Amino acid sequence: MSIQANLRTVERIQTVLAGALRVAPKAITPELALGDLPQWDSLGHMEVMMSLEEHFGIEINTDTIAELTSVPAICEHLAISHPTE
Amino acid sequence: MSARKIEIHPVISIPEHLVKEVQSKFAYVDEQITEARVSPEGNLIVLELRAPVSDEFKPVLEEKIQRVVTSMVKGAIQPKIEVLEDHLDHQVPYHEDPNGELLARGEVKQETTGVFALGPLVTRLIEYFESRFLELASSFNAQHHRFPTLIPARYLERVNYFRAFPHSLTFATHLREDLDMIDHFSQHATCDEQGNLTAPIESFSHIQTLLSPAVCYHLYFGLADQPLPGSQVVATAVGNCFRYEAINLTSLERMWNFTMREVIFVGSKEFVLESRETARLRMGRVFEEIGLAYRVESANDPFFIGEFRKQAAFQSAFQLKFEIRASLPYKGSTLAVGSYNYHQDFFGRNLNITLPNGTSAHTGCVAFGLERMAFAFLAQYGLDPREWPSNLQGVII
Repeated sequence: MSIQANLRTVERIQTVLAGALRVAPKAITPELALGDLPQWDSLGHMEVMMSLEEHFGIEINTDTIAELTSVPAICEHLAISHPTE
Repeated sequence: MSARKIEIHPVISIPEHLVKEVQSKFAYVDEQITEARVSPEGNLIVLELRAPVSDEFKPVLEEKIQRVVTSMVKGAIQPKIEVLEDHLDHQVPYHEDPNGELLARGEVKQETTGVFALGPLVTRLIEYFESRFLELASSFNAQHHRFPTLIPARYLERVNYFRAFPHSLTFATHLREDLDMIDHFSQHATCDEQGNLTAPIESFSHIQTLLSPAVCYHLYFGLADQPLPGSQVVATAVGNCFRYEAINLTSLERMWNFTMREVIFVGSKEFVLESRETARLRMGRVFEEIGLAYRVESANDPFFIGEFRKQAAFQSAFQLKFEIRASLPYKGSTLAVGSYNYHQDFFGRNLNITLPNGTSAHTGCVAFGLERMAFAFLAQYGLDPREWPSNLQGVII
């Protein structure tokens, strides 16, 4: 993935997470993880998972729910599952 | 088909892993429902009703049923069931339903729906299991606590209990401080044929307290809004717990008012998880001595429909709850008699319990339902102590 493509993906992730967690996009910092914001609790996490599923077409199962617990982890997962993103 | 029985085809077929969960929630759909069954294939729902219902009412009922199905099933993620121990094939001597004999011998007396008084044999059995659970608590040097049966509404609000488990709440009230009202009540209050207290609703106070649904909450609230004393806390307490389950309340298997012994851990993530695992291993040895046929497997709490899908998937993904499911040979099923729970930092964050390093405390508990434990044992060994494992005979006879 090119640097530009990577930046676009990060921006999309920020937008998707901000929408799912109902916070401003600037609150989604590059290292943000589950539990760092009051909104990113268990219910918020499931909103994040469903939004990622909807926007990126990834399949959410119990393994991905437990793995995708931070912005870097989500970026890495999308880089593997969606290399053209 | 009589008008007291309604068949409904769900808009979405209910997957096998959700059949029991969805079926249990139908108990809260309407007071007319006396029994609800979902076919094993998940494509048919049969409702038994108290009285024939009108043609106008049927679509209302069906809409509510479909709402439950859609909310719980649409987009549901299949949980990954992890089995940590499996001793269900442990041979036990009894295969009858113990309920009839328990009632006939006066060992169990139902006072009202989901409320049972227990006789001497069941009580001694519970005291024995309690002694084993207390051994577990002692092995952790747990501090003993006594918590009230009532719990303030504002406590439960603070941990989002109303959103997660509204259906099972039990409320406490009292007569308002009004001499005329109290006089009127004392002279006119009666119970009707169904056992309903007949008194004007305005006689009663606003609700500020509920009957507590769990033991460990009281400890967490006691630790709230301050740094955790030391880096960790281990506590134990036994208490009455109340979870209303409507038509699902049957025998000692599912009681409205039951007793729970908990060992509770508060500290770092590593401390709580290690303690939970240590407790499981120690209890494995106890259950082996008792001769219990059981399995320990991952599970989820019975969240209400709006929260169920997401919370259950989250619990499953992070393996937050493992249930001790004892065999009930007479019905070929299992019953949860206890659980090993990890709450992550949910209570630490919501109640502002902080560790010395400033981060939120993690919590966990191991919990044992005392009546269920006794019931499961009796379902496996019967009511004749001579048939019980020898180490229990000495305690009981």
